[in-house]
Amino acid sequence: MADALVLGIETSCDETGVALVRVTDEGSELLTDVVASSMDEHARFGGIIPEIASRAHLEAMVPTLTRALEQADVDLSQVDAVAVTAGPGLVGPLTVGAAAAKALAVGLDRPLYGVNHVIGHAAVDELVHGAFPERVMALVVSGGHSSLLLVDDVATDVTELGHTLDDAAGEAFDKVGRLLGLPYPGGPHIDRLAREGDPTAIRFPRGLTAAKDQARHADDFSFSGLKTAVARWVEARQDAGQEIPLNDVAASFAAAVADVLTAKTIAACRRHDVDTLVIGGGFSANSQLRELAAERCAEAGITLRIPPIRYCTDNGAMIAALGAAVVRRGVAPSSLDLPVDSSMPLTQVTV
Amino acid sequence: MPLLALDTSADIAVAVVDDAGTVLAERRVAEQRRHAELLAPLVVEALAAADVDRRALTGVVAGTGPAPFTGLRAGLVTARSLAFALGVPVHGVCSLDALAVQAYAAGAPADAEVVVVTDARRREVYTARYRLGADDVDVVDPPAVMRPEDLTPRDGTPPAVVVGPGLRVHADRLALTPPDGAPVVDAVDAGVLARLAVVRLGQGRSLPTEPLYLRRPDVMPAAARKRATG
Ligand SMILES: [Zn+2]
Repeated sequence: MADALVLGIETSCDETGVALVRVTDEGSELLTDVVASSMDEHARFGGIIPEIASRAHLEAMVPTLTRALEQADVDLSQVDAVAVTAGPGLVGPLTVGAAAAKALAVGLDRPLYGVNHVIGHAAVDELVHGAFPERVMALVVSGGHSSLLLVDDVATDVTELGHTLDDAAGEAFDKVGRLLGLPYPGGPHIDRLAREGDPTAIRFPRGLTAAKDQARHADDFSFSGLKTAVARWVEARQDAGQEIPLNDVAASFAAAVADVLTAKTIAACRRHDVDTLVIGGGFSANSQLRELAAERCAEAGITLRIPPIRYCTDNGAMIAALGAAVVRRGVAPSSLDLPVDSSMPLTQVTV
Repeated sequence: MPLLALDTSADIAVAVVDDAGTVLAERRVAEQRRHAELLAPLVVEALAAADVDRRALTGVVAGTGPAPFTGLRAGLVTARSLAFALGVPVHGVCSLDALAVQAYAAGAPADAEVVVVTDARRREVYTARYRLGADDVDVVDPPAVMRPEDLTPRDGTPPAVVVGPGLRVHADRLALTPPDGAPVVDAVDAGVLARLAVVRLGQGRSLPTEPLYLRRPDVMPAAARKRATG
């Protein structure tokens, strides 16, 4: 299907995302990307409430579709394929997006593609920096995921090398934010404090980097030990009646996270002889991660690709981008009875 | 000028009706969980069985519940998105209204009130009370969610006819029981839903598709911080 228009729908968490991508022989071009978020409704609970997100997705779906089509000046009848997040994510929110996508596919009589959200976080970079070379490494980090993917073909051949054994990177930031008394979500607050602090002030542990972990967990991550170490350090200070140097704690904690993520990822690039690294997911907004990744990739001769932050958070563009890659590759469409899968395996690109 | 009607308040029901309200084709699956998986294929099947091209549809009608949330939403977002794709209006009808109409059609006396009871899970029921109107039912008590024990007969009114799929589930806890020979109405008929929409649209009413959740979302407030060191 050359020169096709792909509509992408994303509803795996709290954002209702709709985007349109045009597929040509040269590559994929983003026409529009519209996101409605229910985050403000969740903030006071200190976490995403699935039922609130699901209700918001239902109300936002048609208005968001309408805005996306208007912005792109496209008529719905011009859409050639519908792509939707089939998983992983929250079941209630995923269900709303999948049902909407199926209805559009039926109403338009166009093929439906259920695609993997996490792989979408990597694929979105093709809209920004062009088609992937033969083989890339993808580090997808957010509040919900921390995964290392070897991407031989983003539409058909993805291998999950490793993932977090406990908290996702962004989740660890939110938890440390909470223990430092920062508002939810804590990530951006820690990032802001960390820029004023000394990242070498406190030596926090680097999970799964010891020699004994290299055999089984070379490509896996673990952040819960780090989170506990921060909690112990802060509590010891509090018990001694001392002030907590928030800037230094934030900077030292963020440095530990960025160090582990980049060190393991670059080691994996070397081991698999990959010279292009893509970083995606909302946590790629983190400034220490960006700086350290840039520095270490330059040293290792690896090309680093990080899309602008608006494409790293959850959105429709990542799903339309992966849908476009799948359409270009001629992958078979999904069945209309496709189920959503909250723990969809990361080796599975499409349903 | 055919309409497509669907309901996901308990079972999955789909019907294609003509503008006189005659059912051209219908599909029903007694499945309480996989609404989002099964609904779109049933819509395609019903259209094919009715020999109606999707582009010939002049509107989509959806049952607005009350119902357990995930299934209800699958129906409503399907109806809204399908109507959007086809460029036709979407109309909402309370699913309990259809059950009440079905009760009168199945033999509930015209002068009796009908109480509809459906399963709300969590050991509760959705219920509403009706009397027979001209081409429709009139609402006496609007839809509510409650414990079956709290649904009690009223003083000074003739006994109501109690119907609905909630009877089976909650029989042992219901104070109201169907009289002998009462009609059995076990599932929403999507064709009835469509006919109600036609009647109400004919009266110039607007029929929004807002879901009747009747319950607030469960929220887990952020837990108080636990100390790592004890
Ligand atoms: Zn994500």
